[in-house]
Amino acid sequence: MRKLVQGNEAVFRGAVAAGASYYAGYPISPSTEILNIASAYAAAHHQTFRFLQAEDEIASANAVIGASLAGAKAFTATSGPGFSLMQEAIGYAQKVGVASVFADVQRVGPATGMPTMPGQGDIMQVRFGSSGDYTPIAFYPNGVEEAFRVTVDAFNAAEESRSPVVLLSDTFVAHLNEVVDLDELTADLRVVPREMPPLARHVAGFPRFFAGVLMYESGPSAGEPATADADEYLRQYYDAKHRHLEIAGHYRLFEHGWNREGEVLIVCYGIVSRVAAPLAADYALFRPIRIHPVLDDELRDVAQRYREIVVIEANDGQYADMVELVLRREVKRVPLLGGRISIEAIRDGLDRVLAGGPAEPPIPDAPNERRAPSPLGIG
Amino acid sequence: MPELTMAELGYKKHLKVELFPTIWCPGCGIGTIMMQLAIVLDEMALDETNTVIVTGIGCTGRMGSYLKHESVYTLHGRTLPVAEAIKTVRPELNVIVVAGDGDTASIGGNHLIHTIRRNANVTVLCNNNEIYGLTGGQTGPTTPTGTKTLSSPIGNPNTPINLQGIVRSSEHALYAKSTVYHLQHLRNVIREAVEWDGFSFVDITSQCIENNGRRIGFASANEMLTFYRKTYKRAGKGAQALAQYEIGVLYPAEHPSRNGQTDGAAGNSHRAEAQAQAGPGTEAAAIPSVPTEKAKPQASDEEKARRRAESQKKLALMQRLDPAVKMRVAKGELTLVDALREAGIDPAELEA
Repeated sequence: MRKLVQGNEAVFRGAVAAGASYYAGYPISPSTEILNIASAYAAAHHQTFRFLQAEDEIASANAVIGASLAGAKAFTATSGPGFSLMQEAIGYAQKVGVASVFADVQRVGPATGMPTMPGQGDIMQVRFGSSGDYTPIAFYPNGVEEAFRVTVDAFNAAEESRSPVVLLSDTFVAHLNEVVDLDELTADLRVVPREMPPLARHVAGFPRFFAGVLMYESGPSAGEPATADADEYLRQYYDAKHRHLEIAGHYRLFEHGWNREGEVLIVCYGIVSRVAAPLAADYALFRPIRIHPVLDDELRDVAQRYREIVVIEANDGQYADMVELVLRREVKRVPLLGGRISIEAIRDGLDRVLAGGPAEPPIPDAPNERRAPSPLGIG
Repeated sequence: MPELTMAELGYKKHLKVELFPTIWCPGCGIGTIMMQLAIVLDEMALDETNTVIVTGIGCTGRMGSYLKHESVYTLHGRTLPVAEAIKTVRPELNVIVVAGDGDTASIGGNHLIHTIRRNANVTVLCNNNEIYGLTGGQTGPTTPTGTKTLSSPIGNPNTPINLQGIVRSSEHALYAKSTVYHLQHLRNVIREAVEWDGFSFVDITSQCIENNGRRIGFASANEMLTFYRKTYKRAGKGAQALAQYEIGVLYPAEHPSRNGQTDGAAGNSHRAEAQAQAGPGTEAAAIPSVPTEKAKPQASDEEKARRRAESQKKLALMQRLDPAVKMRVAKGELTLVDALREAGIDPAELEA
């Protein structure tokens, strides 16, 4: 049935459609609706879906790990500050190979920042937020229907790669209401089942030891620490890296469109790509949906056809840095900071950087008279 | 040498003895806790198909790798969220958390408070050695005031955390305290805790001779154990709280008469009774996140008494066997019935 669905709700419905049976979370704007919906769903489906409102995001993330090892497809949702608290657990899930999904509904940071305003400042936190080296997979939809589909993809990729997959979103995508038919979308979904045997359903006589510390996992030394064996580190690290890259290769999700005859390619993603839509007449668009690993071949292939590349994003050039690295050529940046994601800000920035001006917008002097406090929600 | 019970001989099948010697220093108390846990697992017939061990970071955390059970070696301090989620998803599993005092009460302190509040049906065995041993001996949350450590060279200025008070703040949680000197007591309280339907916490005083004991004046682990023997006393029956040097079990308020008892006879059918009175579904609808299923084998007091009598009868019959035959029975090479028959004892005496 076609009906009005919110972005956050689509994420939850996508998770359930993908087989999720456990949610742990902590309230934080603008992801809280997912928590609310999960609790209501769990109350109505107690036998098939379990819910935990944890004491903090650290507990949520670790509960997701425990639930996943116990056999449930598990996920959590949070926003920037909570996502920071989850980083250690995400590193653990990367090391141990815990299939799980972490939704990060971005707002303006750092710290508490502007809690109700949209931002895209966690792009690099997803990539490098935990200690050590790992190869994360992350997706970022820009609408309600896509949020549903991409959530299912995130769960499937998590199962296939046995890793914590990050589902990015932002205040606007999360609170966008669009008319979609989720029942129809659910009808012929590809859902990847859990392959790894859950806890205590292992091969009899060979109990596993899930450890954040480097251990020999098989062979004559199985169960012994490998904390000073670089060769074992290389084996496990590259095994995971190759697996993640291979699985990510099955999800080369992006959009290349708008006016392909133009000379300027705009790279943007998430809510910025929706706000920038009025530029369709004059510019070409590249919109990555899979944010990590960065779509290098696709970017190279598309970018060579354009004279200028401008990355417009609600952070100070985080994705632009990656595009520049991949393309080995200079890209222009339009940072939309402080939650000001508007077509006017985009047009001003585009005009400025294409005319050779700086990425930094002109900043008005602080007013002398007292300003009324910002209303909650709109600023 | 004293006679060994079947359980004491059988506990080794719960240990990966091929990985021994363990990483723990000579004289460490953790091995004692592991042995008593293995004996309890053996007594309760818990095995790798129904029991999961969750451990934290620190010396104690390594116990999971020596037990023949599936185990999760979590991040520092995060045992409880992981354990609670496992229990929620798989209520049929027994989830036993083994962690040190730093892991449980310091970095994981917030999780401890809230896991108790939610009455997660898990058992925590806290190796309380009053020190951060793995990092060389820094002040921990349970280090007594005045103790000199690497991080408090003129003596710990703070008072230790009140674990008993934290656990007893719940109406449902079971709190037990024991030491690695009092082996039988320790084994009994571990068993009580594992059988408890709801959150249970065993606060186990143990010695860290290398990174604590020597600095505070003990010459050997044996001296520390002697200290435990001389200072720790069993709490009297009906005790409402344990003093600093008292060991025992404290049940929630509904079981005042049981406080101090450690004979394994105190079942806890109160939750099931309360649920039955409230009618099916009420609890589930009210708090969907809390695992309410009765997963652990809950025996009534009569059932437990019967089991105990049975095992005593078995033991008495075992005593009449040749020691070599007894060993074969304990190893499982020979059934007790066959052994009795060979020895000319009527197996029907088992049923009598």
